[in-house]
Amino acid sequence: MSWMNKTRLDKSYSLGFLAVLLVLGLVLPSGARSLVVQVMVLCVFAMAYDICLGFTDQCSLGHSVFFGAGAYGVVLSLLWLKLGLIPALLAGLLAGLLLSVPLGIVSVRLSEAYFVIVTAIISAIFHLLAMDMTWLTGGDDGLSVSLPKLSLGMVDLSVYDPHTNYYLVFVSLLLSYLVLRRILDAPLGKVFVCIRENEKRALFLGYNVEWYKLAAFVISGTFSGLAGGLYAVTLRYASADYFSFYWSILPIVWCLIGGLGTLSGCWIGVLLMCLFQYYVSAWFTHYLLIFGVLILVVLRASRRGIIGYLMARG
Amino acid sequence: MVGEGYLLELCKVSKRFGGLSALEGVSMGVRRGEVRGIIGPNGAGKTTLFNVITGELRPTSGKILLEGEDITGIPPYSICRKGIGRTFQLTLIFPEMTVLDCVWAGLNARSKRVWWRLLWGSPPEDQATRNAMEIIRQVGLEERAHELASNLSYGDQKVLEIAMALSTGPRILLLDEPTQGVGPQEATSIVQLIKKLSAHTTIILIEHDMNMILEVCDSVTVLNFGSVIAQGTWAEISGNQEVQRIYLGERSWIS
Repeated sequence: MSWMNKTRLDKSYSLGFLAVLLVLGLVLPSGARSLVVQVMVLCVFAMAYDICLGFTDQCSLGHSVFFGAGAYGVVLSLLWLKLGLIPALLAGLLAGLLLSVPLGIVSVRLSEAYFVIVTAIISAIFHLLAMDMTWLTGGDDGLSVSLPKLSLGMVDLSVYDPHTNYYLVFVSLLLSYLVLRRILDAPLGKVFVCIRENEKRALFLGYNVEWYKLAAFVISGTFSGLAGGLYAVTLRYASADYFSFYWSILPIVWCLIGGLGTLSGCWIGVLLMCLFQYYVSAWFTHYLLIFGVLILVVLRASRRGIIGYLMARG
Repeated sequence: MVGEGYLLELCKVSKRFGGLSALEGVSMGVRRGEVRGIIGPNGAGKTTLFNVITGELRPTSGKILLEGEDITGIPPYSICRKGIGRTFQLTLIFPEMTVLDCVWAGLNARSKRVWWRLLWGSPPEDQATRNAMEIIRQVGLEERAHELASNLSYGDQKVLEIAMALSTGPRILLLDEPTQGVGPQEATSIVQLIKKLSAHTTIILIEHDMNMILEVCDSVTVLNFGSVIAQGTWAEISGNQEVQRIYLGERSWIS
């Protein structure tokens, strides 16, 4: 199946997924709703990561840095600068952007294995720093924050209302999806795919490959920052733990299960993992063992994850 | 050898890997419109020569000039944009993209646009897509334009790679064994294609097939152990005893 057809299938699936989410906000009981909110936040993170790994083949182990930075960007701008909610979320996005530029410049020029190692080291350094600088981050205990009202011109909505919270996250997911989809449909996105397909050929067609890889890394980091910010808003809390390696591994797992290079395939991965965490962990403490086996089974059946498998079957 | 009026000129180019000398003081000049064959036994440094010209490797010493402009040591993508397109011995294509997208990529790389057009253009309708179709027609792959590159036969992939090199708008085209590993029929059509292209493009060609060299090349450079041992037209080099001894052994020239 051609790449264009695949994109079309991917689009209809994503729109269906979004439509279901739109309705779910109204009908779900509160427990399940907060689970879905978390799923949506992590979907933003997963999509952002897919730009890096799925579209330019850069296996970063440092995305926890942007996630953590986004979370603290929001929490600190609320605590210190007393910003409104939307500006605070933008500050989270900006934190991801500002960190991904220098870190990208340092790392994108490295070849595969070195890129993985260096991004992992960067993530470890930021985690240690965040744990140490308790005056800034609150360390392991973290920082709690009370959220201001969400002002939308005429009306002020309280984010403590579960529906408001739900649709704030939903709109963020929708906007992130639309922006990223636009980027991928544009020439820039096609160049990303060229680089994934064959970096050397792209270089010898006249593309400054490093520059494009940096662009992908920065776009990815920026939206990871937004995801971190949304996560902090839903929990009203950020801690140094957000910088930990765990948050770098998770997006890889989501993307692998759902399907790399499809932008929204990873949503399935997020959904499966969250369902596992909530329901299976209740009766089996070592639920991650089962999840590990599940990853192996999925990848054995299809190297492109669940969505890749469905697409291959038509 | 080196003088004025060359499109591409190499001045005493050497490339050493540690103690191994892959190229040793190679000087050559290629004129506009010329088709130059590079021959030599395996390991003679032919592909290394291409790698040095296209910027994949930086020469240890020497200079490379493109229409008098020094392009030594600048990155491959700049050299490509200056007008040197190449293919590889083992085809490099984008397997999961359509033929059209593969060729589009090269045209897109040289389209001069402001950065925000990168985000706002829409490939299926743009000028680059129309030009890509034109190139695909030129190489004769129009019926397969919407197929995935990985579904093409190896011969067609070789042709696609030539189309991709053409899409960068080269002033000079470097073809590294374009018929290697290809069946005789497909090889014939690739030779025809190269002859067609040579009408308006300067070509440097690495090839083992002597008949093909004889058929398409105006002049030949013979490499051995990284050094040029002879260059000139067929008539000039076929009488060269060193060439006969080193490259062709005791056999007669062309049977």
